[in-house]
Amino acid sequence: MEVTVLIQATDEAFKIIDEARNRALDVLNTSVKFTAEAKLLEERKIQSIFKGAERTKSEVLSFLATFALLFFPFWMPLSGYFDVFHLSIGVGCCALVAYISHDLLFVNVRLGDMRTIVKRFFAYIPWLIYQIYLANIHVLKIVLGPKMPINPQIIRFKTKLQTDISLVTFANSITLTPGTITIDIKDGEYYVHAIDEAVAYDLLYGGEMEDRVAHVFMEAEHVYVQDVLDVARIYGALR
Amino acid sequence: MIITYEDIIIKTLTRVLAPFLQLYALYVIAHGHYSPGGGFQGGVILAASFILMVISFGLDTARRRLSEKADIIFLCLGLLIYSGTGALCLALGGNFLDYSQLVKVFPVTVAKARALGILFVETGVGFGVMAVMTSLVYDISTGGLPPERE
Repeated sequence: MEVTVLIQATDEAFKIIDEARNRALDVLNTSVKFTAEAKLLEERKIQSIFKGAERTKSEVLSFLATFALLFFPFWMPLSGYFDVFHLSIGVGCCALVAYISHDLLFVNVRLGDMRTIVKRFFAYIPWLIYQIYLANIHVLKIVLGPKMPINPQIIRFKTKLQTDISLVTFANSITLTPGTITIDIKDGEYYVHAIDEAVAYDLLYGGEMEDRVAHVFMEAEHVYVQDVLDVARIYGALR
Repeated sequence: MIITYEDIIIKTLTRVLAPFLQLYALYVIAHGHYSPGGGFQGGVILAASFILMVISFGLDTARRRLSEKADIIFLCLGLLIYSGTGALCLALGGNFLDYSQLVKVFPVTVAKARALGILFVETGVGFGVMAVMTSLVYDISTGGLPPERE
């Protein structure tokens, strides 16, 4: 009798101890959870502050860049009046346009790259004009030839260019060159109409223009002929 | 309804050209009293930049850039600037749009006051024309239905 009472009492005591331990664990867990949540919230708050600051900074930068690009090389030569009244109108108009469309001009462009891209682009234009001159002579020969040896065809080739602006520059360079017209760009493939085999062959297997465009816009994962030449010069000087 | 077609050339060129188009429109408006052009032409060019965006990016993107509410505000603002300049001349003791009366408000000569008045009026006309043209295109492309979300 006494033994059973004793066993029951010990059981009760163990039960009470278990319950107490469970409760203590619960309390501990919830408190840990709360602290973790609070920490997470705080981190998120800090992150959002930093992200917001970064976005604001990039927006301000693109606003200023757009403003400068619109005001100095575009508004001032157009206007031609340099008194205070007209210049203040110009500042107002450029600020308005830059506010409306500052996110249009500079998309995914690092400001440090801008100088190199502009320099290389202006170096690319004379070469393009020379190519247009060559292609003009080629088309002239075809047109003036008595047999008119044309063979119109649509060719399709893959491109290694990736960014929008380089794709568009290459497409427009092809269209500017006589004898070839870019029809479409779809899934990284160009559809080009060519007037005869020689031009088509040039586009399909030459690829110098594409290489130069890639060089201008600093496309990644791609070795440029121009870069190799630059490095070769340095290498030669070192030797 | 305008169905957008993913053409990378048109989209990128629109993106690059639109700010210059808008600034050229503002130039035409601001120099209307010195050189050819004026409020109507500038307003149409300004509207053309938004219409270009409707055509190349689709209606929703263009609406996010210039909502119909903002469009109506610009429309009313243009009308207010135009009629306000006229009413100011009227209040100063001249006829409606009699710019020489602006001498009493602005410290300039009569000729300069006339040029200034024309500039004000053309700004109003430009905003008005831009808003009307853009809202016309919005209405045509939605079939006159109200926007679902704004």
